[in-house]
Amino acid sequence: MDMTKFFQKLGLIVSVVFITEPALATQAHSAPEGLYAHQVAHIFFIVSMGILIYWLRERKLVQAVGWRYIQYSALFFILWNVDAFFVHLVEEQLALVDIQRMGLWEINITTSMKSQTLLGLYYAAKLDHLLCVPALLFLYFGLRRLLKDAEALNSRTVQP
Amino acid sequence: MIVSSLPIWIIDMVGSILMIIFSFMCLSLVGTLRTRDTGNVIWTYLFWVCLGLAGFAVSRSAGHIVKQILFLSGNEGLWSSIRPYSGAINSLMFVFVASVTLFFERIWKIYRQVTKDKQALQGVRDELLFLNQNLERLVAERTKELALSEHKYRRIFEVSQDMILVTRLDGTILNMNPAGYDILGYEKGDGSFARKTFADFFLNDSEWQAVKGSIERHAFISNAEVSLKHKVEKQIRVLVSASRDVSFSDKEDTIHFFVRDIEQRRQIEEQIAQADKLASIGQLSAGIAHEINNPLGVILGYTQLLIRNEVADTEKFNDLKTIEKHVRNCKSIVEDLLNFARSSKPNEDVIRVDQALDDAINFIQQNAGLENIEVERRYQAAVPEMLLDEKKIKQVFINLIMNAKHAIGKEGSLSIATGFNPVEGQVIVKIADTGHGIEEKNLARIFDPFFTTKPTGEGTGLGLSVSYGIIKNHGGEIQVESKVGKGSTFTIVLPLISPHPRMKHAKVHSYHR
Repeated sequence: MDMTKFFQKLGLIVSVVFITEPALATQAHSAPEGLYAHQVAHIFFIVSMGILIYWLRERKLVQAVGWRYIQYSALFFILWNVDAFFVHLVEEQLALVDIQRMGLWEINITTSMKSQTLLGLYYAAKLDHLLCVPALLFLYFGLRRLLKDAEALNSRTVQP
Repeated sequence: MIVSSLPIWIIDMVGSILMIIFSFMCLSLVGTLRTRDTGNVIWTYLFWVCLGLAGFAVSRSAGHIVKQILFLSGNEGLWSSIRPYSGAINSLMFVFVASVTLFFERIWKIYRQVTKDKQALQGVRDELLFLNQNLERLVAERTKELALSEHKYRRIFEVSQDMILVTRLDGTILNMNPAGYDILGYEKGDGSFARKTFADFFLNDSEWQAVKGSIERHAFISNAEVSLKHKVEKQIRVLVSASRDVSFSDKEDTIHFFVRDIEQRRQIEEQIAQADKLASIGQLSAGIAHEINNPLGVILGYTQLLIRNEVADTEKFNDLKTIEKHVRNCKSIVEDLLNFARSSKPNEDVIRVDQALDDAINFIQQNAGLENIEVERRYQAAVPEMLLDEKKIKQVFINLIMNAKHAIGKEGSLSIATGFNPVEGQVIVKIADTGHGIEEKNLARIFDPFFTTKPTGEGTGLGLSVSYGIIKNHGGEIQVESKVGKGSTFTIVLPLISPHPRMKHAKVHSYHR
């Protein structure tokens, strides 16, 4: 008999029989979990877009204009995710920044770190649409070019 | 730090609206792409990416817009209750878009494979379409090409002067060209040919086994000289080349033979060799004869002087006579040798060949007798008078007829014929007997000086040598065909040397060409 398998089975039996603690059937989800899940989703989005850029370059698809635009779109989505991740991090996760409405069009941004740079970065990062809108715009341009190329290819194929 | 929230508000509101617009524009474009090419997995992939992004844009932008409106209207508390739902949906949309995006590599591989298969199918389809549209024409063209090719190779097979033969591995004949039938002496469709194998035509089985063995070992044989049997039981020397044809179908392998008849060439080579041999012997004989002839003349002269001074019938007289007789015999032999060696120029007598033949026959009838031999004379009247050395030509005829008489023995027939070939300017004399014939091993030696099959003392072995020399001296040829037990035929071919200037139409030869 394989000794490794034997010890594995033995360890499982010992842990089940002798190392017992009270177990709860359903795990409780407190408030921070939503934020953490959202942040992990941002990281997943970043990784996913990075992989897309990698394959687009690896397969030399970026030589075509349409796919090159889609590559730029993925790059802007990565930047946007980094931006959003930063905002969530300093505002909600680490609570380094606090915002108070002073009036209809005024806000007071304060930080426990007394850093004007952080405040400046936070203010700039709040303008995240400057990144996600270009991302969608590049995606649109890319798709439009792919459609144009497909039409051109189709017309060449159809021609006698 | 107190700052204006207006830039944030404007960019947030405008950006949210633009995101919704652009995301749906993307969805519309990719929808168009899908509609154009429904089977393209890349468009399907981009469709799902855009769908996820549109969902994300809607959920996020709607949340932001609602948030700003609620803030401006002073209902911040209400936003606090909506916010978790908006955030959760946003998170789900990220994960959805990110998850779909991860499949890009796999989707791209599938797309490439599908494209490749599609191109291959398209190629096959185009080819099938072309074949379908042009099948009849292509078949007609191929058939025509095949017919032309078949005709070309059939012509090579039919008109070849060499035998082309196809057999099974055991030698069974499957096909043979007309030249093959000619070489073997058969007619196509000859019943006696039907059941024969190629091996049956080999004179020696060992030669067939050698040919077969080489083909089995090396799959071919090149220019092997073998002897085949003619229908009339004569030998044909040939060069055999063959190769084994390996069948790619279920049919058994075959052997393709290429057989070249070299019998005539070999005969000519042998004749040349024989002529060279006789010329060499003649040169040698002439040298010896000249050297012996003078001393013999001296001996004969002095012997005759001594005889003149002796009384007849004395012992000394008789001894001198014996010396004289043998010296004369020696001189006769030497003269024969000189005749054989063509050392003396023939006389130019105007004679008729048939007349000379008759004289020779009469001479033999008177001196040796031809009682039990049936003599058949077939003289062609067209044979003209010729310039020949009458004495020597008659000597040739007497030699040949005497040989025929000896070969026939007690009973048989002798056929003497003449012929004239005005085109070649040749007169032909044939002397055929029904005697015992000449063994094949002796055929090459019969014209050699001193070669004889007669018992010792009955012949000098110079008769045919002298005849050969005389005919050669006249610019002619003498040939022999013989079969043991059936007889021999001597053929003399003489060039026509006409004494009459009017016979200009005939080809005229001179002795010393």
